[in-house]
Amino acid sequence: MTSQVLTRSAPSRAERVVARRPRRRRDRGAAYVFLSPWIIGAALFTIGPMVASLYLSFTNYDLFTAPKWIGVQNYIRMFTDDNHYWNAAFVTLKYVLISVPLQLALALAVAMLLSRPRRGQGFYRSAFYAPSLLGASVSVALVWRAMFGSGGTVDRVLRVFGIHTGSWVDQPQYALLTLVGLSVWQFGAPMVIFLAGLKQIPRDLYEAAEIDGAGPARRFLSVTLPMLSPVLLFNLVLGIIHAFQAFTSAFVISSGRGGPSDSTLFYTLYLYQRGFVDFRMGYASAMAWVLLVVIGLITAVLFRTARGWVFYAGEDK
Amino acid sequence: MTRRPSRWAICGVLGAIAITLAGALTACGSSSGAGGKQSIRFVWWGNQDRANATQQAVSLFEKKYPNIKVSTEFSGYAAYVQKLTTQIAGGAAPDVIQVDRPTFGEYQQKHVLTNLSGNKNLNLGNIPSELLSGGQANGGQYAIPAGQTTQMIVYDEKLFARAGVTVPTTGWTWQEFQADMEKVGQATGVPGTTDFGWAVDWFDSWLHQRGKRLYTDNGKLDFTADDLTAFWTMTSDMRTKKGVSSPQATTKMDGSTQNSALVLGQAASEMNYDSNLTSYVSSYKGTLSEAPLPSDGTGPSQSGMAALPPVYFAVPTQSKHKDAAAKLLNFLVNDPDAGKALGATRGLPANLQTRQQVCASASPASKAVCAYEQTAKDKIGPSAGWFWPSGSSAIKTDFQQVYDNVIFGKTSPASAAAQVISDANQSLNS
Repeated sequence: MTSQVLTRSAPSRAERVVARRPRRRRDRGAAYVFLSPWIIGAALFTIGPMVASLYLSFTNYDLFTAPKWIGVQNYIRMFTDDNHYWNAAFVTLKYVLISVPLQLALALAVAMLLSRPRRGQGFYRSAFYAPSLLGASVSVALVWRAMFGSGGTVDRVLRVFGIHTGSWVDQPQYALLTLVGLSVWQFGAPMVIFLAGLKQIPRDLYEAAEIDGAGPARRFLSVTLPMLSPVLLFNLVLGIIHAFQAFTSAFVISSGRGGPSDSTLFYTLYLYQRGFVDFRMGYASAMAWVLLVVIGLITAVLFRTARGWVFYAGEDK
Repeated sequence: MTRRPSRWAICGVLGAIAITLAGALTACGSSSGAGGKQSIRFVWWGNQDRANATQQAVSLFEKKYPNIKVSTEFSGYAAYVQKLTTQIAGGAAPDVIQVDRPTFGEYQQKHVLTNLSGNKNLNLGNIPSELLSGGQANGGQYAIPAGQTTQMIVYDEKLFARAGVTVPTTGWTWQEFQADMEKVGQATGVPGTTDFGWAVDWFDSWLHQRGKRLYTDNGKLDFTADDLTAFWTMTSDMRTKKGVSSPQATTKMDGSTQNSALVLGQAASEMNYDSNLTSYVSSYKGTLSEAPLPSDGTGPSQSGMAALPPVYFAVPTQSKHKDAAAKLLNFLVNDPDAGKALGATRGLPANLQTRQQVCASASPASKAVCAYEQTAKDKIGPSAGWFWPSGSSAIKTDFQQVYDNVIFGKTSPASAAAQVISDANQSLNS
């Protein structure tokens, strides 16, 4: 019986497919034509260089002489024989672990404050978003350096309270904190996304919770957080990727050196030093690939564990 | 009238094809100058005063050689080196470039520079041979010294006087120097001198006084971890007694006057090359004077000082206008008017006749350089033996990064020295 049904319906489906195919093919051709600027751009400026850098990572290349194949030696040296490398990896990890949670917490807190309708909320939203528009720029990092440098605003304000810290950016125990501060200050982008997420949470959930006697803390933990978890995941992944790739602030604030005492030597900054100061392009390429793989792994792990803590409305759990 | 496709249309079509093939667009670039007029590019790094003087000299050159047009570019040191190296790697090198000791070693050993010895457009007769030797390698003259500089200690006269410290007429011994710097620090509250452990240059001088140096002639390390440990132990001892600047001041040092501990009032004196004296004078609020480096011996072989070119000029092998480039070089080095315009912005003029002329009529700051080199004449050795090989830029950077760990107390001088040796061997072998 079933086989008969199948044989009967099969030709008709095949007919439909045959009938549609020419038009689809034409559509696909048009699609590729319209996509071609992007495809050419991606092939030339993204995929091509990536493949080249993968090749270079197995070579010794100083820009002047032809690359010399040395197998995995760059990778071996990196992991076994380079003090700066491990220091840079550690500094970057520390930066990610401190700055991302702080930034997200602040973004969420401000988003919750701004989500209630009030006078001038448009102004407040733009005001809080503004720093992240300026964020990656060199000028802000320069201002930051001036503020936290010797005789800067921070030093002077603290001096009023009898605290003598000197220059923050010239002391290894504070320098990284100034970079964390700069990153946390730019909480605008995740804040806007949190705001949108908060708007999506149905009011009746809060009303029901309130009727059941849930206080503000309980409502936050049992309604807001679970309903917001997809947005949280999104912000977390983006935040982590950005933090791993942080470069401009450290470059500007330490004048490209990663000092004092390597305390702001981010992974990307050390990569840059190897490539464009020492002209060891092969080594720098190898470092770039390790960073890519690590970010990829961390993102994969986040998505894998997300099944346990991210709640999608309409899903049975 | 037949309409032929214009040159631009052809270039446009070819360009489009070139983009899709990831080919070279440069074929359509305008390489030929009209009417035999040549256009060359001249690049350097430096401050505004150097740029103004160089620009003036270049206009004089263009007036004398109306067929050669010179376009100029300048920037800060780090940006300059990165851009230049990328341009050379991409086959678009300028025609006349400025190099220093690390970049000279780097480029010469990578066969980027033209051998200029015997060039008919270039007269090197008036440049002293001990200075020329710094631009020689494998029997060729690959770079022309743009001037002459030597090591010095520049100090604030008033602070030293307040502490009752005077410079001995024959210069300090290291022991006297240490004691005097600590005395200044304790008497005035301003550390006696900028912590000189940060720069590999001063370690190089210290080594020369002991019959050693940073690198052998074939580009290997010529010092041991023990040498560096001794050097850094000395600076660390001085730091505990206010003889040298605080870690916060030292970590900022990069050789520029804007980050100089002396200029920022965080040290009473500083080691540097005397080609920077004009910048110190224009940015420092006190009265400055100069002294030779401390030394335990006498004579040029033990002074740790040499007649070094602060920078050189060189012509990359890629240049398509080598004759015009050599003419410009010759003009910059030998022409009296160019010499007048350039003054001491690249150290004392390399050409001895120009030097006399500049020293006789220069600004007070340039005169101070002349006077200092005159008094220290017996201590200044030849520049041969101060060659820095390929990899030395990386070593200079690493040296400072590792020393940061010492001044902030993260590591001992001994283990830091061992790290410098192992990092340096990697940089030299790569």
